[in-house]
Parts: sequence; structure tokens; C-alpha cells
Amino acid sequence: MRRYIDFYLASMKISILEQIQYSVANYFYMIGMVTEPVIYLVVWTTIAKQQGGMAGGYTAGAFAAYYIIWTLVRNMNIVFTPYGWEWRIREGRLSMELMRPIHPIHGDVAFFAGWKFVVILLWLPIAAILSWIFKPTFEISWMEVIVFFLAIWGAYLIRTMLLSLLGMITFWTTRVSAIFELYFGLELILSGRLVPMTLMPAWVQNLSNFLPFKWTFFFPIEALVGNMTNAQLWSGIGMQVLWIAFGILILNFIWNFAIKQYSAVGG
Amino acid sequence: MTATISVSNLSKHYKVPEREGGMKAAVASLFNRKYRTVKAVDDVSFSIEPGEVVGFLGPNGAGKTTTLKVLSGLLHPTSGSVTVLGFEPYKRPHAYLRQVALVMGNRNQLSWDLPAIDSFELQRAIYGIPVSEFKKTRDDFIDLLELKDLVNKPIRNLSLGERMKMEIVGALLHRPKVLFLDEPTIGLDVTMQRRIRTFIKEYNQRWGVTVLLTSHYMADVEALCKRVIVIHHGRTLFDGELSSLVTQFSSFKTLGVTLPNPEVDLSQYGEVLTRDGARVTLRVSKARTSQVTANLLSDLQVDDLTVEDTPIDDVIDSVFTSNEETK
Amino acid sequence: MNPIKLALTYLRIGVLNEMQYRINFFIQLLQSFISVATGLIGLSLVFGQVTTLAGWSRSELLAVMGVHLLMGGVIRSLIQPNMERLMDDVRNGTLDFALTKPADAQTLVSVREFRFWQLVDVIVGIVIISLAFYELKGTLGFLQLLGFLAALIMGGVMLYCVWLMVTSISFWVIRVQEISNLFEGLYAAGRWPVGIYPDWLRTGLTFLVPVAFAVTVPAEALTNRLSGTSLLFALGMTVLFVFLARGLWLLGLSNYSGASS
Repeated sequence: MRRYIDFYLASMKISILEQIQYSVANYFYMIGMVTEPVIYLVVWTTIAKQQGGMAGGYTAGAFAAYYIIWTLVRNMNIVFTPYGWEWRIREGRLSMELMRPIHPIHGDVAFFAGWKFVVILLWLPIAAILSWIFKPTFEISWMEVIVFFLAIWGAYLIRTMLLSLLGMITFWTTRVSAIFELYFGLELILSGRLVPMTLMPAWVQNLSNFLPFKWTFFFPIEALVGNMTNAQLWSGIGMQVLWIAFGILILNFIWNFAIKQYSAVGG
Repeated sequence: MTATISVSNLSKHYKVPEREGGMKAAVASLFNRKYRTVKAVDDVSFSIEPGEVVGFLGPNGAGKTTTLKVLSGLLHPTSGSVTVLGFEPYKRPHAYLRQVALVMGNRNQLSWDLPAIDSFELQRAIYGIPVSEFKKTRDDFIDLLELKDLVNKPIRNLSLGERMKMEIVGALLHRPKVLFLDEPTIGLDVTMQRRIRTFIKEYNQRWGVTVLLTSHYMADVEALCKRVIVIHHGRTLFDGELSSLVTQFSSFKTLGVTLPNPEVDLSQYGEVLTRDGARVTLRVSKARTSQVTANLLSDLQVDDLTVEDTPIDDVIDSVFTSNEETK
Repeated sequence: MNPIKLALTYLRIGVLNEMQYRINFFIQLLQSFISVATGLIGLSLVFGQVTTLAGWSRSELLAVMGVHLLMGGVIRSLIQPNMERLMDDVRNGTLDFALTKPADAQTLVSVREFRFWQLVDVIVGIVIISLAFYELKGTLGFLQLLGFLAALIMGGVMLYCVWLMVTSISFWVIRVQEISNLFEGLYAAGRWPVGIYPDWLRTGLTFLVPVAFAVTVPAEALTNRLSGTSLLFALGMTVLFVFLARGLWLLGLSNYSGASS
């Protein structure tokens, strides 16, 4: 255990040092990313105003709050992508990673976790500017803040599992961009990235309850900007933990096959 | 004493899909793939004692890298058994990985944007090296390779050779007992190759580490390895002392003759290889060498005469080509 | 060498190259399908709440979506690949190969790459536009079509100019990859008529990254909203952009040759 903590700290330190060197690049990237929620926000604010102030139970201020927190959650959702898996296998980097006495996925989780600290720091001014422009309305309790802080890391872990699973397809075949894109499309609709889930038709909402996506996006945002009871907040965290546990199980299971495949055909 | 590495009847076969050109074949291959078996390594056996430095020779695609990958645990053998330090590598137990290192000349592990010293810290954490031991090893290596002024510079600002030195330091910080080196000096200039060679030698001698090395540069092999294993088409052609490789495979010697009169035709004495002014080189079969030398000296006025073994590169070359012909 | 001939030659090579990877056609088709599907879902969510958005009906917004897709296809097949290659060339110092060819350098760097399969988006865009037209039961007059095509071409030229200007910056600032990322993000704003955006953003989308001219104006032409004056304004802007881009390119180029020699 102590060894893992040591490894995580060292890895995160490396990635923070690396990413600080690229803070300008990181900033451009983040600003580019901001346009997406701003577009959604503008569209839904227009609708809310047209309808006399509210759309689907959200005021313009509530939409603003949702989509501003969205920007942070989106950044927390950035993990090692399936394209990254394709690259690490093709370039033989995985071979080097497999030679270490530590699971490569630990490396991914630690590296991106370190990056997140830089991202959160860079995000603060962006959030301030967006708030100044779009005037969000927040009603935040301490409990919500605590749960939100946990939930964004839960979201990070769940999405890491999902995309690692997806990425592992590249052990068997390389023409997978179509599958990836299909996945990203589904996720867009079912996670709360496009619109708050409560604006979706009832059947979509029901469906999303049985899927991991909304725990990576809608839940963390809603935990902070929505009005959930304490029981709802903590059961949400419970759901995230369940999905993480389930993810670890599946990941381990598939990993065994993937590595067998890899050591049969070579990197 | 038991062998550090023992390999018996190792085979590694790949199934590769056969593809014909054209759209129709491409679609058909989605449903009914035809496979062809490639025998990358075919029934190879050898064993290596602790502290040995063994060179692994063979042309591209001979199966060198495949064998190294099997030994380091990245590939699962198709058949045969492999043990290294008493472990079965393909299971990749952490206790095993902690005692070996694989260095590939064209792969880098250290962070491109950071000084090596920071990346070394990560290696320490990965291998769980005790801090005091880590610092000592690191500083030793830095001294040995004269890297003191470079460890604080980002890797991207270093030259190729300096980068390779850093990579080697990073890969050896956990003091592996077995070292697999795949083309460690590829693309480096001669001085840098020599530095790295000296370091590997030093590392081997100081800690009694077992080293298995592949290289295109015969100089690497000559400097480091007493013993070589030559493989070709996945099979072992030779396993033994480097010097006996030359005696076994080269039945010729090279005679260098300098004559005051360059016009003389020497083709009756042996095969003329080069003719550079007064200097002529001849290829003569080993059995006839003394006879020919005596004849030359008695028949002609000779200013200078040398007898040399065929250069190792040419020997290797002839091993592969002769094998090609008999196949 | 005649620039048009040059462009056609590269175009032919590009097509031949891409024909080898026919599977990409299906991947591209699927990707277009996904982006259309998510677009339609977005539209249906909006129009589950309201009947018009900032004065645009569902079918009219469908037309906007079609134009956005079409123009996006043009950017990704013709403009972006060339500009990204140019950035790479500047960074790796391999631009010299292009500069030593006996042709206008700007033309050359703008026609070298061509992603044939990305044109699938153009086709899909046209299909969506036709569908929107069918829903609107509109008739496309000759003048209207002419206005649309003119607006489309001018919009494309302006986007090319902006890309070229951004890329020219790479002569001074090496890391500009992220700028192209930013550009993609801003282009996504064109999915909706720029009229819905707040003033500051609309200004940006009109004058900095002319998404307004590239998508909204052609869509306005299709839906009978376009006046002759705005078309004329677009023409003026196009000329301005062309001159600005050419100027910046030449400046960057002289800076490049100054630095490397």
C-alpha cells in the first residue's frame, strides 16, 4: 500500500511538473473546450427567456450554473483515450510499461490525476469570467461542496474505466475509430453533457439510470448546482463507488484476455 | 551453480493473416481469414550462467528481438520452456520484473520535457527502491557516465547519445540482475557507442550482472561478449566463444602483399580481393596459407606481407549467406 | 505553374491516395451519421420546449445544420489538412521543400493535402439541406440559389483566410496546434444562427472567426432572409480578409527565410 501511495505521489508530481510547462497550451485547449457549453448555454437561455424565464424547471441562472460547472466536470472527464491505447500499442510503449512491476492503468490514473490539479487551478479564472458574463445562480451548502469534490474524482475514475475498456479493444483490432465515435455519441446524450438529464424524455432518463454515463457528468454537476437532499447526495456517491468497483472487476477480467492476446502476437 | 537463463526447445510462432490485394479480398477476409504461420523462433535452446555477457547475432527478422521479448516476459512461448532467475517470465510476477530490465535503443521511457533527475525519482517509486540505495546508485551512475551537468536539463535539450545514457541510467536504477539490451547503441556516434559499451562492461563486472545483448555493431559484440549465439530464421546456427566462431566459420585468411612491381599478376596464388597501387589483398584458404606465403616469398620480391583472420563482420556475413544457400 | 493546374494535380494525387483506404469511406459515413443523429436529437430537445428559436423554425434550423455540416466537410477535407501540414513544416523546418518549388508559395501550401473521404460530410450536408427544403415546402429560385452559392463560396474563402492567418502566426510562435483546437470549438458555434448569441460573441463570430458568414449567411440565403446589402457586405469582408491573409503570410514568410538563412 505504501508503495502505491509513493508511486502515485511521484507520478502526479511528474505530470504536474510537465503540465505546468505547457500551461499556455493547456489554456488554449481549455478555452477551445469552453465554446461547447457556451453554445448549449446560449441556446437554453434563449429558450428559457422565450418561455418567460424557465425551461424544463431551469432558469437562465440555473442553466448558467449548470454549464459553468460543466466546464470543470468536462475537464475531470479527460482521461487516457482509446486513441491513446491504439498509439501505445502501435508504438510499443506498452511493452516498456509492462516491464514495470506496476499495472499500466495505475500509471494512467496517477498521471491524469496529477494533471487535474493543474487543470483545476487553470479553470478558476475561466469560471470567474464565465460567471461574470452569464450570471449563474447558486445555492450551495457545505455538504454539496464536499460531495461535489468527491463526485468529480468518482467521475474521473468511472470514465477512466470506461475508456480503458474501450481502449483495450485495440488489442484485437486497430480499425476501431467507428466504435469509439459511436460511444462518444451515446455518452453525449446519456451523460448530461448535452443537456441536464431532467430535460430528456422520461424513457431516456430511465435508461440512463442503468448506465454509468450520468454518474460521470450529470451527477457531479447536479450535486453542486441542484437541490438534492443529503440522502440523494450520498447515495449518488454510493452509486459511483458501485460503478467503480464493477469497473475494476470487468477491467481485470478483460485485461487478462487482452494481455494473453498481446503476449501471443507481440507488441 | 544453476544457470541464470535457461531456454530449452523454445519456439514462438505467429499466425499472420494473409491478405490479397483488392476490395473483394479485403471484404472476404473479414469473414474467412486465411492465416499463415511464421516461425519467428524455432526450437532454440541455450543456457546462460550468472555474470555472463552474451551477444545475440543475426540479421533483421532472425528472431533476436522475439527471443528477448520472450525472456523479458512480453511474449508467451508457443512451446518449450524458459526460466530466468527461476521465474517463468511470461507470468510477469512483480518479483521477477524487479530483477530484470529491458533496454531498447529506439524506445524512451523518460519524460521528454523534464530533467532526467525528476524521471529518476519516478523510477525509484515504480521499483520501490529504498531512498538511500537509490541515491547512491544514481550518483554512481551519473559519475560513471559523466552526466553531472546534464541531469538537470530537460531531456528534449540533450543529444541522442546523452539521451541514451540517461535512458540506461533510468533503466538500471533498480540494479537488475539480468539485463536485456536490444540495439543499445543504434544511431549513436562512435565515441558515444564506446562510452556506453564501457559502462555496460563496468556494470557487469561490478555487480556480476548477466547481460544478453543484440547489436548490429560488431564492435559492441567484440568489446563486450566472450560468447555469442548466432540465430538465423529462428534457429541457432552457432553458440560458443566469439573466437571459435571465426575459426569454425571462416576457412579463409586474408593476405596483404606489398610489391615493388604492382604489375605482377597474383591470381595464381589466391583470389584477389583488392588492388590499391602496390598493395594487394588475397583470399586464401586456411589450409594453404603457409604454403602460399612461402611461395610468394620465394617467387617474388615482396616488400611487406601480412596474414589476417577474416574480419568478424565478413564471417558473420558468410555464415548467413552460406546458410541461405543450403536452405 | 498555373495555380489551378497545380491544385488539380494535387487533388488528383489526393484522391488516388485516399482510394486505397476505402474502409475510411464507411467510417466517415458512420461519423457523419452520428453527428447528424446528435444534431437531430439536440433539435428535437429544443423544439420539445418551443416552436421557434430566435425566430427560426425547426426546419429552418435543419437547413442551418446542413450548411454547417457541408462547410465543415469542406474545411476538413481542403483547408485544415493543408494548414496543419504547413504548421508541421514550419516547426520541423521542412517548409524549404515547398518554398524552392517554382510556384506561388501560398498557393502551393494551400493545395498540397486533400482528404477525399471528408467530402462525405458535404454530401450529407446537401441531403440535410434538401430535407429541410422539403419540409419547408419552399421553392428554390434561381437568384436564391445564386445568392446561396455566392455566400457559401465567400464564407469558405474567409474561413480559409482565417486559417491561413492563424497558421502564419506559427512563423513566430511555434506552438499553434492548440489554436486550431480553439478554431474547431468556435466553428461548432455555427450549428446555430449567430443571431442567438450575445453581442460580444456574435461580433467575434462575425469578424474574428467569420462563422457567421460561412454558415449563417448562406443559410439565410436559403431561407429568404438575406438582403442584397448583407451579401455586398460579405463581399467587402471577403476582399478584406484575402488581403489581410496575404499580407500576414508574406510577412511571416520573410520572417521565416530571415531566420533560417
